Amino acid sequence: MKKLCITFFVLVLGMNAHAQHTHEQSDSTKRLEEVKITAIAKRKIETELKMAVSVDEFLASSDNISFIKRGAYAWEPLLNNMSTERSTITIDGMHIFGACTDKMDPVTSYVESNNLSAIDITSGQAGSLHGATVAGSIDLKRKSTPFGLEKNWSGAYQTGFEFNNNQFFNLGNLSYSSDRFVADGSMALRKAGNYYDGNNDEVNHSQYNKFNTSLGLAYKTSPLSSVRVDAIYDRAKDVGFPALPMDLWLSRAIITSASYKQLFEDGMWRVWDTKLYFNAVEHYMDDTKRPENLVHMDMPGWSTTYGLVSRANLKRGDYSAEIQLNAYDNLSIAEMTMYPQDRSNKTMFAYSWPWVTTRFAGLSVNNSWDFSAVSRLNFGGSLGWNYNYSKYVEFNRIFHPGTPREKSRLLPGLHASYQLNVHQFDFSVGTGYGHRAPSVSEGYGYYIYNSFDRYDYIGNPDLKNEISYEANASAGFRNERMGIEAKVNYFHIQNYIVGRILSLGSPMNYQSVGVKGYTSLNHARLFNVALNANYDMLQHLHWKGTLTYARATDDKNGNLPFIRPLSYQTSLHFMYGKFGIQTSLNGDFAQENYSPEYGEDPTPAYMVWNISADYTFNFTNFKAVLQVGAENLFNEYYSTYADWGNIPRMGRNMFTSLKINF
Amino acid sequence: MVKGMNMKTLKFYTIVLSLAVASCTKDKTDYEAEIDTVVTEYDEFKEAVAIRSEGYDVSIEALNGAFYKGYNEIRLKITNSQTNEKADASAVTFLPIKTDAEGSKFSCPHLYDLVSRPDDSYFSGYSVFTDESSTNGSWELYISFTIAGRTYAVKQNVSVQEQANKNLNMTTFTGKDDEQYFIALVSPQRPKVGENELVAGIYKFNKPINPPSGDFPDLSQFSYTEVSGYTLQLDPRMPEPSMGNHSSPNNKDLTQQGDGLYHGLVNYTMTGNWTLNFIMLNQKGQILKGTVVPDDFTPGVEGVKSELHIDILF
Ligand SMILES: [Cu+2]
Repeated sequence: MKKLCITFFVLVLGMNAHAQHTHEQSDSTKRLEEVKITAIAKRKIETELKMAVSVDEFLASSDNISFIKRGAYAWEPLLNNMSTERSTITIDGMHIFGACTDKMDPVTSYVESNNLSAIDITSGQAGSLHGATVAGSIDLKRKSTPFGLEKNWSGAYQTGFEFNNNQFFNLGNLSYSSDRFVADGSMALRKAGNYYDGNNDEVNHSQYNKFNTSLGLAYKTSPLSSVRVDAIYDRAKDVGFPALPMDLWLSRAIITSASYKQLFEDGMWRVWDTKLYFNAVEHYMDDTKRPENLVHMDMPGWSTTYGLVSRANLKRGDYSAEIQLNAYDNLSIAEMTMYPQDRSNKTMFAYSWPWVTTRFAGLSVNNSWDFSAVSRLNFGGSLGWNYNYSKYVEFNRIFHPGTPREKSRLLPGLHASYQLNVHQFDFSVGTGYGHRAPSVSEGYGYYIYNSFDRYDYIGNPDLKNEISYEANASAGFRNERMGIEAKVNYFHIQNYIVGRILSLGSPMNYQSVGVKGYTSLNHARLFNVALNANYDMLQHLHWKGTLTYARATDDKNGNLPFIRPLSYQTSLHFMYGKFGIQTSLNGDFAQENYSPEYGEDPTPAYMVWNISADYTFNFTNFKAVLQVGAENLFNEYYSTYADWGNIPRMGRNMFTSLKINF
Repeated sequence: MVKGMNMKTLKFYTIVLSLAVASCTKDKTDYEAEIDTVVTEYDEFKEAVAIRSEGYDVSIEALNGAFYKGYNEIRLKITNSQTNEKADASAVTFLPIKTDAEGSKFSCPHLYDLVSRPDDSYFSGYSVFTDESSTNGSWELYISFTIAGRTYAVKQNVSVQEQANKNLNMTTFTGKDDEQYFIALVSPQRPKVGENELVAGIYKFNKPINPPSGDFPDLSQFSYTEVSGYTLQLDPRMPEPSMGNHSSPNNKDLTQQGDGLYHGLVNYTMTGNWTLNFIMLNQKGQILKGTVVPDDFTPGVEGVKSELHIDILF
């Protein structure tokens, strides 16, 4: 009985999407299917408006995620308005690094909505569990069916069509569960043509084609232990990036892991979970479909990572802790081969990532102490060692003569927060301090063309660690009918890494206007505020709204780029019997604090209205939902502050989908 | 049971792994091979010519055992034909002469008085051949040396081959001071991406004051010197139209060092065709030759070059 209580407590925590500490992960080894299913249902990958969403669309519904969009595919997620170098993005704690120097392949592009169960977003240093970070962490949780479900087989199939870009998708997943053996498999296929903007003009080179499949097998080696192997294979082919001067010909990723999990029935130790992983990404760009390119260039990239993640959960009385060891070794390679106009001349070759090895090993601890019935203290820290090795350091030495081939850094992090729950109110205050190492591009990149500001970027191996000082607070009120919550955070980041125009050297890429080198600003400041509210107007009429604002400045009070202006999302959801109707409105106010220095221009306000309706029905053992809807109903022509090169967003998009569960 | 499963798991995992590792779609560029095979490298001194004269063997060694257009370091050895031992020679001189189709005679930058290197038992010098041997002209070496108070003079026809390594190219020009100059690249033979020490020789033809007189050759007609105290300003570019006359940072102008040659630094940002654009300044800092190359990035157009430049390739 006692054991069950503890597990139930854990699951309740798990349901809270913003829980800062999921002490014991929903435990797949035990027989707790009823509770477990509820937990999954609460966190399934769909938005208010749309049930068949891409991973990107799902992430977009979170208030601290925004996106840089270079087309219709593989959006780069910004956490707290900070780019991917400043956050750790992991799949079940595994580190993966994209193989594209132009960020065509964020980690989120290598999974599919039907092989994920949840996405854990942790803001700031509280997210240092998976490794050193500044902005926080995004952990993509894969599906993992519990052992011993009453129903051996379960699965879902989703298909749909989106009319704007002729996107056709088929997603299927199937799970088998017995007392000793579990299997999860999924397969997904999406194919889309060019989309049309709000003026009904075709946006060329915005097509994509993605195939994703995954398999997970788990075996219970004893009542309290299990082994599990997982693999994801993802392939994107012929993907257009309208905002970039080139497209993607092919990108493939294989993501594998083998893990061992041990539960403990009594004592302080509760769970110990250790995983070995390997992933490899290959990425080949294609500029041959762009007639404006007078120069043909081959730009392949490869990224290979081996790693270990080992996690233990402890609990004694009011105190619980999570300890995680992270270690990985990544090799990033990117090449440029330029073809001369007279093809009889010799081709020209350089590395944009000159075989850069990154090794990381770190230990992270999160503690939580419920020191009274209404208050809790969370505190923790991490200490990491980051090592870089540039095999062909001669490329880096051109701009940084004599720079060492190897570099080691120590990355400490600390965080603490206090939570108070009084009646229907809750409050929290927190603070954090942490370092991060420069990314491969920031440290060792070589003539990486950035089509946003049209500069070639040169990495600097001697960059200092970026150091973040962070403060955050939240206040909320909740009763049966409504909830309201305000969250703020503030980051003061020392040695903030940006690209600055270099007086040295000249561009290499055809479209480039100059050379920028990564350097450290003395500091930068970022401020984010989010306001969330929900209200159940009637039993079956629900309203939800979010308002976010951010401001970020450099050490001369100039604006930083890609900072979201005042923006809002609001939705109404009405249910009547088996019917549901949703409508939502989202938009940004005008972007006034733009940064011309980083290639930005002002972006006007926009507002997009979406609507959808669904019908749920059962036949034999199947439960099916049919949905039709329209995004951007009024066919507004707009582009957002974070649309690379101001490419217009999609105009009116009618969509339809069918989901069958069994 | 537990063990059995783990083994199976391991096997599955190994298969997945090996599939993943073995199946890259496109091969990575073999960078080391890329920068390796392009140039003909001259790395070993071998005999290029042997002359027998009055009981002595004169052997001239050059890199790869041949003479090429451009800078050639030479090593001259004199041995006694009978004993096969090193002869005790002194005052060794070296003069290359080219005879063209009309019968006119020219020379080229060279070291006339070879330097004795007793430790290595040879005499050291150089010759910057300005042309390869052809029907329009042939090269002859005039050599003299003194042994035991007696002076010996020999001459020998030699063949000068085309320069196969563009990194050892040379150029000839007339400066603003109306003097004839020669710039020949000496090193690197095999440049690499990144920083390279660039070495060149700068020579001047000393115009004869009087018409030729006496026996041929009249040395005053064929006098060349290494210029001293000049500066060779360097601006490396990629003239290929697709590269927009791309340049590189952190280069260093060439200045004269103790070996008489001019040393500087050049950075190549990638492999391909490069042009070394020069501006030559005399001791007083006056421009004798060369023009400033505009900094504009000019994609699509063949890059502008200085009027004084040498093209290389790697
Ligand atoms: Cu790419």
